[in-house]
Amino acid sequence: MNRRDFLKKSSFVAAAGVLASQGIILGRAQDNQTYTMVSFLSGIDYWKDAFRGMQDAAAFLGVEATYTGTPDYDLTAEVRVLEETIAQQPAGILLTVMQADGLQPTIDSAIDVGIPLVTFDADSPMSKRYAFLGTGNYYAGKIAARYIGPLVQAGKAAVITVPSQNNLGQRTAGFIDTLAAEFPDVVSGDQFIVDNQNTSEGAATGLSALLQAEPDIKGVFSTNASAAVGSAQALREAGLSDQVHHIGFDYDEGTLDLIDRGELGATLAQGTWQMGFWGMLNLYMVANSKILSVSDWKAAGISPLPPNVDTGVVVINKDNSKYWRAAQ
Amino acid sequence: MDDATALHQASNRDDTIKTPNLLTRLLQVRELALILLIIVIGAALHLITGRFFTTPNLNAISLGFATSAIIVFGMTAALVSGGFDLSVGSVFAMGGVAAAVALRADLPIPLAMLCGVGSGILAGLINGLLITKVQINPFITTLGMLGIARGVSLAITEGSPLAQLPTDFLIYGQGKILGIPNLILIALITILIGDILMRRSSAFRQIYYVGGNEEAARLSGINVDRVKLGVYVLSAMLAALAGVLSVSRFTVADPGAGSGEELRIIAACIIGGCSLRGGKGTVIGGLLGLIFVGFINNGMILLRVPVYWQQLAMGVVLLLAVGFDTFSQRWQGRSRGKKTV
Repeated sequence: MNRRDFLKKSSFVAAAGVLASQGIILGRAQDNQTYTMVSFLSGIDYWKDAFRGMQDAAAFLGVEATYTGTPDYDLTAEVRVLEETIAQQPAGILLTVMQADGLQPTIDSAIDVGIPLVTFDADSPMSKRYAFLGTGNYYAGKIAARYIGPLVQAGKAAVITVPSQNNLGQRTAGFIDTLAAEFPDVVSGDQFIVDNQNTSEGAATGLSALLQAEPDIKGVFSTNASAAVGSAQALREAGLSDQVHHIGFDYDEGTLDLIDRGELGATLAQGTWQMGFWGMLNLYMVANSKILSVSDWKAAGISPLPPNVDTGVVVINKDNSKYWRAAQ
Repeated sequence: MDDATALHQASNRDDTIKTPNLLTRLLQVRELALILLIIVIGAALHLITGRFFTTPNLNAISLGFATSAIIVFGMTAALVSGGFDLSVGSVFAMGGVAAAVALRADLPIPLAMLCGVGSGILAGLINGLLITKVQINPFITTLGMLGIARGVSLAITEGSPLAQLPTDFLIYGQGKILGIPNLILIALITILIGDILMRRSSAFRQIYYVGGNEEAARLSGINVDRVKLGVYVLSAMLAALAGVLSVSRFTVADPGAGSGEELRIIAACIIGGCSLRGGKGTVIGGLLGLIFVGFINNGMILLRVPVYWQQLAMGVVLLLAVGFDTFSQRWQGRSRGKKTV
């Protein structure tokens, strides 16, 4: 079974179970209901899985899912695309947020004209969006610590990251705090952080230097995919691939290869498909008035949905890596 | 070493005329101030940390700037010609991606590497033609190419890095000869060839004339357009070659590789004595600039400078280095002036 089928089948079973137990009966296929996903940097690979999840849910519900966004890392452009999307009056919008404050007025305007809007991956917490589905980065760092801690037992642990990036900062904090709390013999901290400047080269050069300064480093947490590739290379060049435990974050062909070759112990995969799938279900439930939590949630002025959903991370290692290989 | 012998000969010649002030003579070798600075920093770091001048550490530092060193030759040529090339970081990624695509299409390894380098030559040709024939300013032209080359890499890969490359290809970036990593050897050879060409070859000397005074160069019969075209082809070609070698080192062609590389390289060249106004600079100087930056970066980690302060410290050190250089130039100028009086 390839990765797509595996994920699809397991989630369908889960979804069906949830729906059945709540006594909600799936309505007939909705004619001409269209739900739109809006992103920034729309060309990058990362969103593909989220949209695949949305499409899978849309197919299940008998509605249509479309994808749009701006190819740039540009707030004005994303606001414009969101406004254009609202003007087309879709049944619901699944939005990833480039900048929380900048998008808030437009998000609020969608809610005000009655279009349900849910954010995914990156949030605008002060806006009127009904729900946010994304990775709890601090908790993800905790998972990394609970992977590294027992393997290292005693020694030092480095973090390869981009300090100026907020989500990576939360992963780093979760990692360091959890090691300190649960594995006091594994020492980490600000002095073991390397700035990889978002490139593999930066990670390799920085970790190589740190390994000279601290020969007792026994664990490495790379908080993004390019850092994982660079750190793995630094460990290989230092002849330490076997001795230093290394966990990465996110996955692509490069990190999966490293895992299969045994040069990267594991990596943490975000639930991007989950964000799309459950985000779509959330929107559908609101758009089709299936939310019965109180007699009238609109009049009560409350969110109809669970406002914050952590879609979590899962550990990819040598044993299960094949399920993440893209379907051929 | 060349500088030292040249200096020795020079001072011998001068002996017959006048007793030279050795310090003054030494300081007239442009790169010497930087070499001294590097030695002082290295020695200080070794004294403080006790593990700076170790083989693994020096290996790590040199591997860190090896691919950059390859690009430095082209960037020096571009700066000397009075322009610069902002597209090297993106072309670096594009070269790697092009080679990876060719490798995954089962092309023979040398041919695939040529595809990577070829993509760079093409980018350089476009840069060069736009700058010389359409007369678009190098800043704008290469800024455009920065976007285009990055865009091509993203479009081809659809954002995901390309892996699963043949193991034979990895020898260039991961292999060693006599214990020295191939990547460092390739970088040293490139720098050496580049420095000799820029100093001795009449074709490459023309770049200095063009950068020093374009109009005078044109009047003296130099084909300025051809020189500039050559410079941008050289720069992009070397950037793409560096990108191909980096893929071989990391086993992955990342469309995001080399982002910000252009500024790091330009900074190294300026530290090494290149002038943004053109006409001045050496390839060895650029390498020294890279070594300087590499030492500082490594030193900050060895000295446990908190990561949040490292960029600030780096910026200050860059300004100090260039300031020190400017000051020593002025001092040399003054001491030279005194001699002639």
